[in-house]
Amino acid sequence: MLFLRRTFPLIIAFVLGSFGAAQYYIPAPWSQATFRDLVYISRIVWTFALFLGMYSLFSLHIGRMRRKQAGWGYSGLVFAAFGITFAAMAWNSGGLLLSPLRPTELDQWFTVRWMYTYVFAPCDATMFSLLAFFIASAAYRTFRARTPEATILLVAAVVLMLGRVPALAMLYDIFVPEFLRTDWLTSLVTDDVRQLTEWLMNVPNLAAKRGLLLGVSLGAIATSLRIIFGIERSYLGGGGD
Amino acid sequence: MIDRILNIDRRYIFAVIFVVVVWALMADRPIQVPISSPVQDVFDFMERVAQIDDHPPTILISFDYGPGSDAEVQPMALALLRHAFSKGVRVAGMCIWETAPGLAKAAFETVAPEFDKKYGDDYVFLGYKSGGIAVVLNMGQDFSLAFPADAYGNRTDTLATTARISRLADFDYVITLAAGNTIDQLWVAYGQDRYKINLGGGVTAVMAPDMFPFLQTGQLNGLIPGLAGAAEYEKLIEHPGEATAGMLAQSWTHIAIVLSIVFGNVAYFISRRRDREV
Amino acid sequence: MSVALRHKTPLMLAIGLSMFWAAPKAQIEADTSVVSRLAGFAVPADLAAMDTPNDAGASITVIWSKAPTAPAKTNYEVLVATEPHGPWFLGGKLAVTGHVLSDEPAAFGWNADSLRHFLNVSEYDVNSDSSVAIEDDRTYHFGLRVVADTDTVVFTALSASAEAEANWFNWAKLNSLILGLAFTAITLIMIGAARKDPNLYIRRVAGLDALDDALGRATEMGKATFFVHGLDGMSSISTIASMNILSQVSKRVAQFGTTLKVMNRDPIVHAVSRETVHEGCIEAGRPDVYKEDDVIFVAPDQFAYAAGVDGMIVREKPAAVLLMGYFYAESLVFAETGAHAGAIQIAGTDSFTQLPFFITICDYTIMGEELYAASAYLSREPKLMGSIKGQDLGKVILLAVLVSGTVLATFGFDMLTRVFTNL
Repeated sequence: MLFLRRTFPLIIAFVLGSFGAAQYYIPAPWSQATFRDLVYISRIVWTFALFLGMYSLFSLHIGRMRRKQAGWGYSGLVFAAFGITFAAMAWNSGGLLLSPLRPTELDQWFTVRWMYTYVFAPCDATMFSLLAFFIASAAYRTFRARTPEATILLVAAVVLMLGRVPALAMLYDIFVPEFLRTDWLTSLVTDDVRQLTEWLMNVPNLAAKRGLLLGVSLGAIATSLRIIFGIERSYLGGGGD
Repeated sequence: MIDRILNIDRRYIFAVIFVVVVWALMADRPIQVPISSPVQDVFDFMERVAQIDDHPPTILISFDYGPGSDAEVQPMALALLRHAFSKGVRVAGMCIWETAPGLAKAAFETVAPEFDKKYGDDYVFLGYKSGGIAVVLNMGQDFSLAFPADAYGNRTDTLATTARISRLADFDYVITLAAGNTIDQLWVAYGQDRYKINLGGGVTAVMAPDMFPFLQTGQLNGLIPGLAGAAEYEKLIEHPGEATAGMLAQSWTHIAIVLSIVFGNVAYFISRRRDREV
Repeated sequence: MSVALRHKTPLMLAIGLSMFWAAPKAQIEADTSVVSRLAGFAVPADLAAMDTPNDAGASITVIWSKAPTAPAKTNYEVLVATEPHGPWFLGGKLAVTGHVLSDEPAAFGWNADSLRHFLNVSEYDVNSDSSVAIEDDRTYHFGLRVVADTDTVVFTALSASAEAEANWFNWAKLNSLILGLAFTAITLIMIGAARKDPNLYIRRVAGLDALDDALGRATEMGKATFFVHGLDGMSSISTIASMNILSQVSKRVAQFGTTLKVMNRDPIVHAVSRETVHEGCIEAGRPDVYKEDDVIFVAPDQFAYAAGVDGMIVREKPAAVLLMGYFYAESLVFAETGAHAGAIQIAGTDSFTQLPFFITICDYTIMGEELYAASAYLSREPKLMGSIKGQDLGKVILLAVLVSGTVLATFGFDMLTRVFTNL
């Protein structure tokens, strides 16, 4: 049993990890085909694991409903939503073999496409739109010039926020009267701030990212080597030798 | 008072942002959108593709984003389709993200009728294919192996748009619209690196800085970053749409955030001086 | 093969043209005696064919000399035949301004000249609707035709032959292999050194040191600790690294007797998390503390996951929130909600785009490779510490190469740049 739980997975990790690294250098068709097949296998394994995840999700919510914990109604909603979506998918606009009747009104809304367009997509977009509010409150709370580094961050953030969109040019059009507009001022609010923004993105920002990328890449290689050689075993689901 | 300002309930900030965005969306005011070079590069390359005369120019658009990124990336998709269709370029659409097909279909169904484009002859929707890397590798070697049929069950070798495509490199331009890591981990690493395709990208604004290294190395020959990039592309094709409309709201929101930061810092300095005096 | 060149009068040229254009487009009879010289244009004097290097087979590279001058809109056409004298089929076209050997260092090396064109032929057109792929281990013959301004055709009597084959090794990536093996050797040597001397120094990582404080705070307040995995699956290095941290966290939480809830978005990560937490409780001597329902598969969709986790944070108000793994747009949603709930937050990610959000909002942030070093840092196991030192040594070497390569490139010496170029 210990062989299956500990040793066999390590052997698989070594063999497949070494092959995965080697196939990058071997262009022969059998090498590329084997790699593709391994990718397919991992997708199949993931799909089966999804059933495990669903079982866990359902057992959690059934337990909450049984114990009538706070908010157990929402657990009922989970099952209702799952049931309706599954039924719509199975119904498949009348494609289901065992359904002789096809009420046409039902087809207009009882489809997965309708649920995607009018339920799922708006919910997803709404969650994403929270970011706009959260970034505003986070920026107000945290962008304080407490230290020199924080001040640099603050100034860079302000320059970028104004330079990535035509905000300054818009304010210039609205608030600066014609007689006060000069060439250098116009150039400052339209071109200069954009160039400064692009310089910030292309030079210091990119330099920092490349430094991080170097470190992360080497770290990833070292971690991969540890996994291939069996030194790192956390993915087996428990630490220790 | 200063302490209350410094620790203001965040709901007030949310309310200010809400009011600014709603007001800006309702305001009907033109806004100047300067064009940046990465967006210009995508436009110029599409123009060059349209000039191809020894075969019908065909591009591939990979829709790799979900509804959460709809507001930023969908306008890019619409603008690209309008540009392609207006120049007679054929378009094949595919998805590697599972939540993208609905958005991709919506984009085709919105734009194709504007130009009287016919499904099959002018555009094809290949649908969603799971597998990520495997899909790109398959397409690179044998397109019909990856997509023997389109999303509606039609064989791809019978559709005019995809009949001459035998592998990924046969597309004159591949544009990936991404909200995740599909550009760097799939299309650049496997598509561009192995099969030397012409690759352009469209990404959310927060991802754009990550793509600049690929622009510098030429692995991406152009990039449309975020809603601002989409608005620039709409200006280039002279068809203002959702992105241009959203730029006003985005600009005013940025101004509101900058003003709140300045306000917060002023309050902070006042409180610091007060604490020193005490 | 020999080359025969003859001057032709315009009449002969017209006859020759009519022979070409009368034939069906795909199947072209090569007349090696029909040659014409365009004014000022030198027809290629050589033609060679070879197996395309570093590929999976089914491709042959044809090489010929570049003409010093050429009329506008001149194209080379490579013709393919399975027999020495045809029938010839069109294998590919290249404009006279097309690529030369020096444009493809991956195939021809860095010192390839710019005096010769090449074309990789992987199929040929048997008719206007279909083409046939080149097969491995079969001899093909190649000819070259020059077409200028669509009304002048020049055909050379050149031909060459070759067979395609799949290559076992991609020589263009030799530099990458050597560098990879070198780094592997460095890492293994340092692991060996760490076994002999376990007292290796790793600098302090504030976020990892703060884990105990965060768990202690949760214990004092009698509230739960939330461990939130990133969105990537088990194949992601950051997820594996976060699993290491979870292992240590679950042991300590079991010792303290407080509640740990683990949020998962991927079903395989969920399964591994369950085993990890269970093992942690067993190792701490408290198997009774483990609750299967506390390791939760929330949702596979990004924002459904964010909504589910946020809802739990808002309702249960944990004392500590640990955000470990690779995050996307939902990172700010987690961090801001956790901050509003009053939790101490420690984030660890290698996602460049989300680091700024975590740094500004969370109390501690473990950046990039610090996350990968977590297993070594927390366990202090010599083998793991040795790999960290090997990684650091690799970084030092890279920095030295970076500086010296920049200096050399500034003065026009790009050999070091070439060594590190990924072809």
